[in-house]
Amino acid sequence: MTDTPAAIAVDTGDLPLGGGLLAIVRPALDRLAHGGVLAVLSSSRAARDDLSTWCRIERHEHSCLTDENGRDRHLITRGALGVPRGVREHDVTLPQRVDPLTGRPRITSADVLAAAPFPARADRSTGLAPRGARVEPGGPEYPFALVERDRVAPPEVAQLFDQATSSQWDASRDIPWGDVRPLHPALEAAIGQVMTFLAENELSALYVPSRFIARIHPAYAEVAMFLATQMADEARHIDVFLKRARAAGGGLGVSSATSSRSLLSLFDPEDFTEASFLLSVLGEGTFLDLLRYVEEHAPDAATAEIARRTRVDEARHVHFGVAHVRHALSTDEALHRRLEDAVRRRAATLHDLASVPAPIHDALTVLAAGSDEPRAIARGHERYRALLDDMHEGRIKRLITAGFSPEQAQALSDLHTPNFM
Amino acid sequence: MSTEEILVGAVAYDAKVVPIWDGIRAHFREEGVAMDFALFSNYERQVDELLAGHIDVAWNTPLAHVRVQKRTEGRSRSLGMRDSDRDFHAKVIVRKDAGISSLEGLAGKTLAVGSRDSTQARILPLHFLKEAGIDVTQVKQLAFDTDLGKHGDTGTSELDVLTALKDGRAQAGVVGDLIWVLEQAAGRIDTSVLEPLWTTPGFDHCMFDALPTLAEPKVQAFQRGLFAMKWENPKHRRILELEGLKEWLPAREAGYASLRAALDAIDYW
Ligand SMILES: [Fe+2]
Ligand SMILES: [Fe+2]
Repeated sequence: MTDTPAAIAVDTGDLPLGGGLLAIVRPALDRLAHGGVLAVLSSSRAARDDLSTWCRIERHEHSCLTDENGRDRHLITRGALGVPRGVREHDVTLPQRVDPLTGRPRITSADVLAAAPFPARADRSTGLAPRGARVEPGGPEYPFALVERDRVAPPEVAQLFDQATSSQWDASRDIPWGDVRPLHPALEAAIGQVMTFLAENELSALYVPSRFIARIHPAYAEVAMFLATQMADEARHIDVFLKRARAAGGGLGVSSATSSRSLLSLFDPEDFTEASFLLSVLGEGTFLDLLRYVEEHAPDAATAEIARRTRVDEARHVHFGVAHVRHALSTDEALHRRLEDAVRRRAATLHDLASVPAPIHDALTVLAAGSDEPRAIARGHERYRALLDDMHEGRIKRLITAGFSPEQAQALSDLHTPNFM
Repeated sequence: MSTEEILVGAVAYDAKVVPIWDGIRAHFREEGVAMDFALFSNYERQVDELLAGHIDVAWNTPLAHVRVQKRTEGRSRSLGMRDSDRDFHAKVIVRKDAGISSLEGLAGKTLAVGSRDSTQARILPLHFLKEAGIDVTQVKQLAFDTDLGKHGDTGTSELDVLTALKDGRAQAGVVGDLIWVLEQAAGRIDTSVLEPLWTTPGFDHCMFDALPTLAEPKVQAFQRGLFAMKWENPKHRRILELEGLKEWLPAREAGYASLRAALDAIDYW
């Protein structure tokens, strides 16, 4: 079914061409294909010649007859130039779903995607036209690199975007800051160090996706939109971690050269899937276990809430990364090898990074210990060692979910950076 | 002059003429046609240089076109024109409050007119008014002789005419139908104040002129390059929009008789 009639008639009353007539004629012509005929009934004497001139400029054929009542009947046959490509959207009415919390109707992005699905390939000459719009030919090509659905747009992305937009929170208001009390100095310093490390890593998670947004063809806009929510999440995380570091006098800790080198290598991949794999599946995935650890050993409710809220956001980022990689792996046999190579290349550039950066290693130990008393530290050390095991196991599970074999997952997890991200 | 490269003359009536011809030259090269261009400040100079054999082809206004034909005794070659050059008209526009309901009503009123070398805003509308039996000496003329030498290409004098009408300095004015309709389509005309009174008969506009001695391979190469430009091609479209056309068309000569008659009558050859 199409919505392209062969002929349309409109009545433009006594409107002159420059007084509103075109606002009736142009949209009517827009519904016609090349060769379609528009009849314009007009009693404007001025429009008689002006419409003919306008048709000459626009390359439509024009003829005009005057009827017995003195009204003009213009017949305009749509010319071939500038006819937008594609078929006008029809029968699209988005469902309204009752929000279980508010009882109000919602229109979700998942339903938008269902109504206007991703094309398998996108055309660079459609520029920034939203998916579903008809595009007038003759526009410039845009330099979008990501033009294949299976490389960029997993089907879950719209749902994740819906989740992201409804899960935004406020780092100023939504943390029980009133609960923060000065801690034992060693513990407060450890908190400052953990927060410094987290914020530094979050900055990489803010910057790395930003490199890819402008490469994504707007046919897959939901991916760019999801990454925008991810960046807003990371901005909030950076903010909340630095607030916690300074909330009770601990102040910031040290940024180690090891972290810095590890994070710099996240900027290497020029391929979106590789970058998403390294950052989200491996890096942010590992951070889920780290944030759970911080929450578990948090010395106050504010710190626990910070870790909990950031972990919920991170779980979404990881979900997108895993979905993206799983979708890409399922359609491209050679991708397993490319992603493995990306991990190996990164490991090779970081080969002298043998262990977790000392400042974060120590701070996580003190955090779990709750103090710097030796017996407590021994306990904290145990917990820290268990964290490393948890991280390894978590990575293997996520790699298997993403589509790797258990053997591949084991090998890739072993090669992952000791910096966690 | 190079035996292979085609040298095209154009008048620099606006800064956009440079990107237009840079773009056309790049397109011709992609088509395997060696072409360069020379810009002149006025059409009189361009016509002289064409006739002197210093350029191969001149992109001419209708006034320059008929002058080239006259000075070559009709032997010059016409190579192509814009779609928008065909079936041009001029309009007499009046203020609705001026009480002018027919051409006879122009008598005693002020008629704004464009540059004296503008075909559509001066030469032909006055000629057609005379042909319609109007004694233009009975009409006060408010003339805007801007951009002389550019033959009305800039459109400035036509916009001056519309402004004078809007401001009430004139009760009537003449402009080309293209500018009248484009200004309306862009929403820049107050149709509660202005309305068209009369439309002249049709006439044709610009033309690529060449000397009869231009070698046939050059003629064919030029036309091949020109007609290969397509509205749907983004690179071409930019140029075509700047130059004010959608498609280059073959030359036709029927639309210049009225201009020749007008030039005879006012001795403006
Ligand atoms: Fe984050
Ligand atoms: Fe994240």
